[in-house]
Amino acid sequence: MMKRILIVEDNATSRELLRTVLEKQGYTILEARDGEEALQQLKQSTPDLVLLDIQIPIRDGYDVLKAIRGDERLSNLPVVALTASAMRGDREKALAAGFTGYIAKPVGPTQLRDEVRRLLGESN
Amino acid sequence: MAANAPHSGPGQKVEQGLSSIESRFRKLLEAAPDAILEVDNEGRIVLINESADRMFGYTREELLGLNVDQLVPAAMRKGHNRYRESYTDHPKTRPMGSGLELNAQRKDGSLFPVEISLSPNWTQEGLRVIAIVRDISERKQAENRIRAIQEQHTAELAAKNAQLEARNREVEKANRLKSEFLASMSHELRTPLHTVIGFSELLAEESEGALNEKQKRFLSHILQDSRHLLELINEILDLSKIEAGRLELQREEFDFAACAEEVLAAIRNQSEAKNIRLENKNNFHGLLHADRVRTKEILYNLLSNAIKFTPEGGFVCLEAIPQNGYLEISVSDTGIGIPAEEHDAIFEKFYQVGDTTRGVREGTGLGLAITRKLVELHGGRIWLQSQKGQGTRFSVTLPLAKNTAQPN
Repeated sequence: MMKRILIVEDNATSRELLRTVLEKQGYTILEARDGEEALQQLKQSTPDLVLLDIQIPIRDGYDVLKAIRGDERLSNLPVVALTASAMRGDREKALAAGFTGYIAKPVGPTQLRDEVRRLLGESN
Repeated sequence: MAANAPHSGPGQKVEQGLSSIESRFRKLLEAAPDAILEVDNEGRIVLINESADRMFGYTREELLGLNVDQLVPAAMRKGHNRYRESYTDHPKTRPMGSGLELNAQRKDGSLFPVEISLSPNWTQEGLRVIAIVRDISERKQAENRIRAIQEQHTAELAAKNAQLEARNREVEKANRLKSEFLASMSHELRTPLHTVIGFSELLAEESEGALNEKQKRFLSHILQDSRHLLELINEILDLSKIEAGRLELQREEFDFAACAEEVLAAIRNQSEAKNIRLENKNNFHGLLHADRVRTKEILYNLLSNAIKFTPEGGFVCLEAIPQNGYLEISVSDTGIGIPAEEHDAIFEKFYQVGDTTRGVREGTGLGLAITRKLVELHGGRIWLQSQKGQGTRFSVTLPLAKNTAQPN
């Protein structure tokens, strides 16, 4: 069965990039443009992985993560922080908050594919 | 001086008929700079010296027989009467109104500050009181001036302190704003670069269709320059953080040899691409007490610089010697060298060594400035030895862990 990935990203170009790379890998892509939309999507169905940009409108990535971790049904869902901020300490902060992984932008196709495979337990 | 006129000729008339002793005492009295008055039990002035008429602005004739109350400020006269009576009850030598600010009144009504000493004088005519009055206007003025100056200084100091405190608050605020600005600038610049690099790499993979040679070359230009731009953004951000005092080292004890190996492994493809022999001559296997990530950055910067400025087929070498609590790490190359007059300037931002960088322009011009700052943050030093055409040797010192054995 095709694994499903929810991309939460407000920047349309970046969304297209992530979708293009991951669809080519055979994943089914779901999209949300802000924190509120992301939580709506998650109510309807549970994906296998969430790529969650931290700087998004309405409810930021940390807020969305908190809601996910607070929901018993979603508490084991792998959620990867995606951010262009990349200040030192951001990774540690994200992992400490409960993100499963951390990807700093810019991220190329190779790194993105590797990271997603690893988090879905598909790496060899 | 009109008031003094009657006795300005040395008082021959007065002296006539006085015994020589009386004359001597009279002269003594007249020589005193303080006003001396004798007052009878009715308060009438019965004896004065020259200083007294000068001080109060009366003629001698006017003063003699005048009630001493007239020399007291009008406002205080009532109390003075009572005071004079109480003195006659307990006569002894003492200052008048000690601890009080006393004023006397001149004939023209003007007041001046005085000190008064009172002494009883028992005479055949009964108890008289001798008052020695000193005009302390000048002393008061001086005191007031001093106090005014002190108050002014105190006020100025307080104002300066307030200014400094306000400046401090401004600096703190500016620093915080700068940090916030840097964080958001970093984010805003990386966001578009993310898609530029991402889509370029995607195209380069040719999964959307094969590219011809020219397209591949153009795409590699885009990729190369966007990566350069990313490097610039990262380095400007680093440098700004260091300069704003916002870069904090995360010091730990770690194995230097392993750290150096990691950096050498990461940079080997650069040296291999130019057929440069990259040699690790490090024999030190102890611990450093430093920020591991920043130490790698320092090593990486020095090694990649060395490779960058060394011609094909050259030689780059890493060495390390512990001494005096520091590890002296050196990177030597067989590159183009740096003329002596540029040895200092080379650590400045965006500095590119004169004609020596011709043909080598992939640097950001910030690497050495950052390296120096990082070394200095660790309390270490950075320097270089070089001769044009003879190669260059950069050295830095980084602190050893306390328990690291000193000898190799």
